[in-house]
Amino acid sequence: MMADLILLLLVSIFIPLFPMSMVFNAIVDKITNCWIRILIFSIWPLTGLMILHFSSIRLPDWLTYLALGTSMLYALRILTLREVNQWTGFLATSLWSLLWLAVIENTSASLLYGYAISMSIPLVMLLQLSAGLEKRYGAAYTGLYGGLARSIPRFAGVLVTVVVAAIATPFFPTFFIMLDLVVATVSSAPLVAIMLLLIWLLWSWAGARLIQGLIVGRASEVDIDDLNTSTVSIFSLLLLVLAIYGIYLSGVIL
Amino acid sequence: MEQLIIVVAVLPLLSALLIRLFATRLERGVARISVVITTLSFLLSVVLLGWSFTGDVPHILSLGNQISVLLFDPLSILLTAIILGISLIVHLYSVRYMAEEAGYGQFFVLLDLMTATLLFMVLAGDLITLVIAWYLVGVLLYFLLGQDTRSQTAYRFAFWTLITYRIGDIPLILAAALLYNAYDTWSLTIIFNEIMANPNAHMVLGMPLTQVVAALIGFAAFARSAQFLLHTWLPYTMDGPTPVSALMHAGIVNAGGFLINRFAPVFIHSGDVLNGIFVVGLITAIFGSLLMLTQNDIKKALGYSTMGQMGFMIMECGIGAFSLAIYHMFAHGVFKGTMFLSAGSVINNARQDDGIPKDELYTFAVEKQANKARQPWLLMAAITLAVPLVILVFAHLLIEQNYFQKQGAVVLLFFGWVTGAQLIFATYRMRTQNIWRLVGLSVLSLVVVVLGYVFISHAFDLYLYPDPEFRKQLYSAASINILRFDILVAITALIIVSGWIVTYYAEQHGYRRRQHTKRLWLNFYALISREFYVSDIYTRLTRILLGLSARLNVWLRWL
Repeated sequence: MMADLILLLLVSIFIPLFPMSMVFNAIVDKITNCWIRILIFSIWPLTGLMILHFSSIRLPDWLTYLALGTSMLYALRILTLREVNQWTGFLATSLWSLLWLAVIENTSASLLYGYAISMSIPLVMLLQLSAGLEKRYGAAYTGLYGGLARSIPRFAGVLVTVVVAAIATPFFPTFFIMLDLVVATVSSAPLVAIMLLLIWLLWSWAGARLIQGLIVGRASEVDIDDLNTSTVSIFSLLLLVLAIYGIYLSGVIL
Repeated sequence: MEQLIIVVAVLPLLSALLIRLFATRLERGVARISVVITTLSFLLSVVLLGWSFTGDVPHILSLGNQISVLLFDPLSILLTAIILGISLIVHLYSVRYMAEEAGYGQFFVLLDLMTATLLFMVLAGDLITLVIAWYLVGVLLYFLLGQDTRSQTAYRFAFWTLITYRIGDIPLILAAALLYNAYDTWSLTIIFNEIMANPNAHMVLGMPLTQVVAALIGFAAFARSAQFLLHTWLPYTMDGPTPVSALMHAGIVNAGGFLINRFAPVFIHSGDVLNGIFVVGLITAIFGSLLMLTQNDIKKALGYSTMGQMGFMIMECGIGAFSLAIYHMFAHGVFKGTMFLSAGSVINNARQDDGIPKDELYTFAVEKQANKARQPWLLMAAITLAVPLVILVFAHLLIEQNYFQKQGAVVLLFFGWVTGAQLIFATYRMRTQNIWRLVGLSVLSLVVVVLGYVFISHAFDLYLYPDPEFRKQLYSAASINILRFDILVAITALIIVSGWIVTYYAEQHGYRRRQHTKRLWLNFYALISREFYVSDIYTRLTRILLGLSARLNVWLRWL
């Protein structure tokens, strides 16, 4: 019983559950190196899933509601965040905490890893773009400079698409994962399904605020380097692969 | 032949892809690709529409697996042609209109993607395709409305649209999930067949599944078609490019009517929900028209006019006149699209010369100077009340003998009668040389409008719902207890006729108002000018939510 609780506390750092979710965000806040941050985002939920996979914790019934509460809390909190790295960390917390629901629904291990990876890829891309903004403007902050669509249109285009992918828009995998979770819960626990949809709505709201705070406005008077075409191609290719995986996932899970 | 519909739907996607690939090389020439492909797609859709008259429909076309299915039926093929027709006009208009704007290529990419998404929405034969298309329409509209990336206002109101659309996605996704759980398939055709065979086979939260799903679909339609309380985005999205406004008001906003029609087999078993839909549509029609009349900005007035029309369209669904809603959608789309696309040049011309002839109509409608000479009021009242009724009854009897057994038909007749009577009532006091000529012309125009409306809507009825039993079921589902219905009609008629009498006597004794009545009118005007405080309330709620979010962040030390 005690061992189960300790293990659960440990896993809830990696597959976030409030208040252990604060550990992840504190780490993200402290790390300034972009590549280390990207590495953490890539392995964080996978570590949690692996611990869960190799242990045999009995998951309590209330876990669904704690996971939903965590996701809802962070989705609500992103609305007023302006620092892009922090924004990405909170969105990651909100997204990854929903992995608990998939675990409770007995989703296969391979699919769970697929869910975690496909949730993390747009976040990792966003961290890269955030580093790009820091390099160009000294800070990745919404509402501070704006006008990216006019100043650096290629960068803005990639940024918008990555944000759209991160907030569960068709045809990216998170959209189908959310749909699957709603389908799995709507008949047995309609309240859970409604909460999931509200969380999804908050993501869209937060995404729109982030986009508006960065891309809208007049062009900068200073010349700023845009992304080169090869970098844009790499981002586009990654997003295309992600969308194809989303379509594939829809065939598997729906 | 029906396989062509896949080509029709995919062509705009191809256009978007080609523009994306060749945007830098072709510069302004990208518009040619878009226009040519949209024209081709439109022509193919017209050919398919013609072919569908042979009656060899519906067909189900799979795109590879069971969750990517297109449905080729009268509703989808008719709407495909309408969407492509409106899209083509918007494309042609945009070629020059958007030429000076930044992001010319991107605009056409978004326009083509929107066209393709709308096509997949109306052609969806499964719930997944429908949900994806429904969702994407909101996202694409957000970016189309925010085409001018310098304008914070454009994005602010584009966001209102996005969030309302996302709210509307919630009930549709819930409905899709419930239907999938109950019938273990995403296929709309299979689900509808099972519902028709056994409507009460499944229950949710102690209620029949059909009723719950119908209510959810109704909510989704309300958000998309700007029904009262979910309407604020519509009149405020005028900062977007004019072609986008035209596309939105002529096409996208009609999606609610389409959705209700698509789920007609569910609504047949959900009479109470249809009654609720009627009430929401009625309230929207009244509030939209009221707000339209008080606007001094032409584009905002058009926005509220669309809201009123959408209310009327949803109301038509609520009385079981599903095909009439589609006809309304088509007629309103053409009419409103034209108005939006010509609004700019009208404003421009009016700045040089208003072009309004200072004739009898101007004196009457603008200067509010009625004719002092009166005709015998009893005779005029009889003409006002009787003539529209005779025309309407005659026109409807021409197409169906037992028409008056349908309550929905009576409601429509009632509205037609009120509108017709209002027309004659409003015109017979105009200053004119020959009042009888004027009344005669009003009656003639009413005859033309009523006959056209009745015959065309009947044709839509036969095309969209060829099964007479199904049509009868739709009207029966929307019916209420006959005594209640008669009482409601009598009360409404009494209120309207009393209003006319009050107006008549007020005109006879001048417009002198007592102090307290004046104050009441002033308060009422203030209420309307603030648009019933709906957007103010939403703004306040938004601030509360954002305040809560910020406070949580501070309390939890941003971790």
